[in-house]
Amino acid sequence: MRLEYALLAGVLYGMFYALAAVGLNLVFGVLRVVNLAHGDWIVLGSFLAWELYSTFHLNVLFSAVVALPLGMAAGFILYWVLAPRLGRSEDPEMTSFVLFFGISQIIEALATFGFGNNQRSLLPNALVAAPLRLGGQVYPGVLVASAVASVPLLLALYLYLYRSHAGAATRAVMANPAEAAAVGINVRKISALTFGIGTAAAVAAGAFSIFVEGGTSPSQGVALTTVAFAVIVIGSLGNVAGTVLGGLVYGIADQMTATFASSWANLVPYLILILVMLARPSGLLGRATRDA
Amino acid sequence: MKRSGLISATAALSVLAAACGSTTGGTAPTGGKAPAQITVGTLYSSSGSFATSSMPEYAGLKFWVKQENAKGGAYVGAFHKRIPLKLVALNDQSNPETAATLYSQLITQDKVNILVADFGSVLTAPAVTIAQEHHQLLFDVSGSGTTFFSASNPYVVLTSLPTSGVWPTPLVKFLVSKKIKRVAMIYDSNDFDASQAATIRKGLAAQHITPVFDQAVPTSTTSYTTLINNIAATNPQAVLELGYPNNDIAFLQALGSMGRHFPLTFTAFPGQLHALLESNVGAANLSYVYSYGFPPQLAYNSPNAGLGTAAFVKQFGATTTGPVNFLDIAGYNAGVVVGAALRHATSLSQLSLKQALVSQSGKLQTIEGSFKIQSDGAQIGERLPVSQMFPSSNGTTIKLVYPSSSANASARYPAP
Repeated sequence: MRLEYALLAGVLYGMFYALAAVGLNLVFGVLRVVNLAHGDWIVLGSFLAWELYSTFHLNVLFSAVVALPLGMAAGFILYWVLAPRLGRSEDPEMTSFVLFFGISQIIEALATFGFGNNQRSLLPNALVAAPLRLGGQVYPGVLVASAVASVPLLLALYLYLYRSHAGAATRAVMANPAEAAAVGINVRKISALTFGIGTAAAVAAGAFSIFVEGGTSPSQGVALTTVAFAVIVIGSLGNVAGTVLGGLVYGIADQMTATFASSWANLVPYLILILVMLARPSGLLGRATRDA
Repeated sequence: MKRSGLISATAALSVLAAACGSTTGGTAPTGGKAPAQITVGTLYSSSGSFATSSMPEYAGLKFWVKQENAKGGAYVGAFHKRIPLKLVALNDQSNPETAATLYSQLITQDKVNILVADFGSVLTAPAVTIAQEHHQLLFDVSGSGTTFFSASNPYVVLTSLPTSGVWPTPLVKFLVSKKIKRVAMIYDSNDFDASQAATIRKGLAAQHITPVFDQAVPTSTTSYTTLINNIAATNPQAVLELGYPNNDIAFLQALGSMGRHFPLTFTAFPGQLHALLESNVGAANLSYVYSYGFPPQLAYNSPNAGLGTAAFVKQFGATTTGPVNFLDIAGYNAGVVVGAALRHATSLSQLSLKQALVSQSGKLQTIEGSFKIQSDGAQIGERLPVSQMFPSSNGTTIKLVYPSSSANASARYPAP
């Protein structure tokens, strides 16, 4: 029964991790930068959920919905502030690395000013109070709800990428920005849109992170960025389905380790990451590319 | 003379200084001129996972410095007068690597007279070796890991709590008194928690009890769902979770959200940070949870140095918005112990400060009770009773339930 429980819990955690990581993957796919502030956006989403529930008693699902336009707007603004400067840089990738690290620190500092250092968490009734009883096992209702709520958000992203003109343009930019520009795609506009969507997904994930991570604090961002990065590397960079698979692999590995070798829980998911890198450098769903 | 003569003289002086035990720490020569100020160096974490605990300790220490300076400074026995205190505090952001750099900076650049560690074992660990290397006495506030203290290192003294290995001694006796045979234990894989777990394991083994669940988890653990399920499968009578505040919050949150209920649930920090735990996990999830008992619930109102519990709660409480917690007291108590060292030392040399505290061991009574240290600097004077959270009209109230000598309520076991 321990195995079955760990498997199902791993799937539930994995769906959340996929949502938490998908924005990072999109941004990397289009802009070719690792957003080191990604986890801090998730933290801000958690504080948004905490504030809306504590002040107005609004269910966290509502916060997740509100997070989408707010995150999108924040992402747009940040992109238009940063992009011209990055474009003028001699080494945009390294500059972006440093830049996003700085943004991460600023968000953490602002969150500390706004909310203090202490851990903040919400009681389950802010989302779903009752646990799920299944096959004689008990799963936290908040974990189930977080996983279930991740599905439509991930599905919407998938449909956007594969069933819309903007999504097709986004995939074209992911594949080759120069060629995409050559066929008339406005790369900057698509990049801005992607950065907005990526940020929105992160902030929305934050609404659930406050439950899945047992609370939130301003310093949690770095750890969340690390998990998200592992998930997208395992799955494959620039691929939503890969991110879902990466999330599931990470979640199941994490919970299996917690069950059978708990003191190694920090290590095993990253061992899997290294193994995947060695066996399939482009990730589990990545395609090998050949430059002509 | 003479360049070679000058070099020889310098070399001779250097050798002499080394032979006399010269240190890189801020020391003053015995019998020399009194310094204009005593520099107290410490670290704090304004961010990161230890900020919750570090900032109250820092606030308590600052309060002590302010109180002493209002009297003209700390009384320094070697000079028979009060000397103003200067507090140099650097922010390690909960990062042990940053802390290591900053501890070195305090010793070598700021040349502090007194070195006070940041909160807890993780942030104290780098200071122990650095202080020893520089022959600087480390006032360890709450880093109670047992490995910090050894006969070969005279440069550390634990000011506040007994070493963590001693903490659970009354808890084990309590479990035995309740005839509990099925104990599940989950602990963080750091020295602070692992040494508690080792004591519990040993204490239970003496009663021929083997824990039905005994696992370590990384200190960064926040998801306890699967672990709790695995614990529940062993049908325990008592579940002991040994971690830091963030672990306790995540553990109790998960327990509540799964609707799990054990006859006895123990976590380490509700007794220290009661308000924080209650605001995060709710009164319902905290009700009947057991913890260690700490001041201010454990009151010492007749100290022979510094303020007593009631006076501190009143005076310090007026300077802060939240309720006074144990960590505020621990920071203040560190100051009181520093004050005792300065008062009784024959010089400001680091070993003289240590010797002064050894001489005061068993005599010094502070807001945390009897200050009693071993020769290796480990604190043994205090025992942490077992406490339990009881529902009350405004949340929960901490009561001491074991041992009977310090109890002010009867334990509810099994928990309703």
